[in-house]
Amino acid sequence: MDRIPSSPSDPSEDSLPVADKTSSVDLRKEQNLVTIEKEVEFRVDLYNRVVKTCFDKCIEKRYKESELYIGENSCVDRCVSKYSQVNNIIGQILASQRESM
Amino acid sequence: MDKNMLGDLDNLPEEDKMRMSTMIDQLQIRDSLRMYNSLVERCFTDCVDSFKRKTLDKQEETCIRRCAEKFLKHSMRVGMRFAELNQGAPTPD
Repeated sequence: MDRIPSSPSDPSEDSLPVADKTSSVDLRKEQNLVTIEKEVEFRVDLYNRVVKTCFDKCIEKRYKESELYIGENSCVDRCVSKYSQVNNIIGQILASQRESM
Repeated sequence: MDKNMLGDLDNLPEEDKMRMSTMIDQLQIRDSLRMYNSLVERCFTDCVDSFKRKTLDKQEETCIRRCAEKFLKHSMRVGMRFAELNQGAPTPD
């Protein structure tokens, strides 16, 4: 695209590509949105894995009835609790690894 | 995973290099997060089998730590070999 050279003090010049008009504030906002998006993706993925894992660990596969047994209820509660602890431990390990790099 | 694994970016024109670099950074972030979640799932599945209590016992905790460290070392080794293949370097027998 042909650009007519314009002086740096005239940012409203029409010949500038649209990208140059984006202020650094907008860029930071967009980066924040990307970060939040990644965070949400991560938590959704985590949730789905907990559901899957604790189902496999706790729920009897014979499916004699559709309600959860009391034992299964407790198991699921504890499973989620333990999974969360594992999440924290591994988070620490990865963080300290990153620091030592 | 690092950029060396992806082969030669140097032959691209300058503007494409920038866009590729940004894209690769974003993919790496997503890959890191995914790896984190997979690692947690794997080590939990392999190390935790009883749910009589809601907190991890010492054995489970040790198992988890070893699992994570082992996986990371394994991952680095794979990355190393992968990069070697990409660069056409000779690999050990």
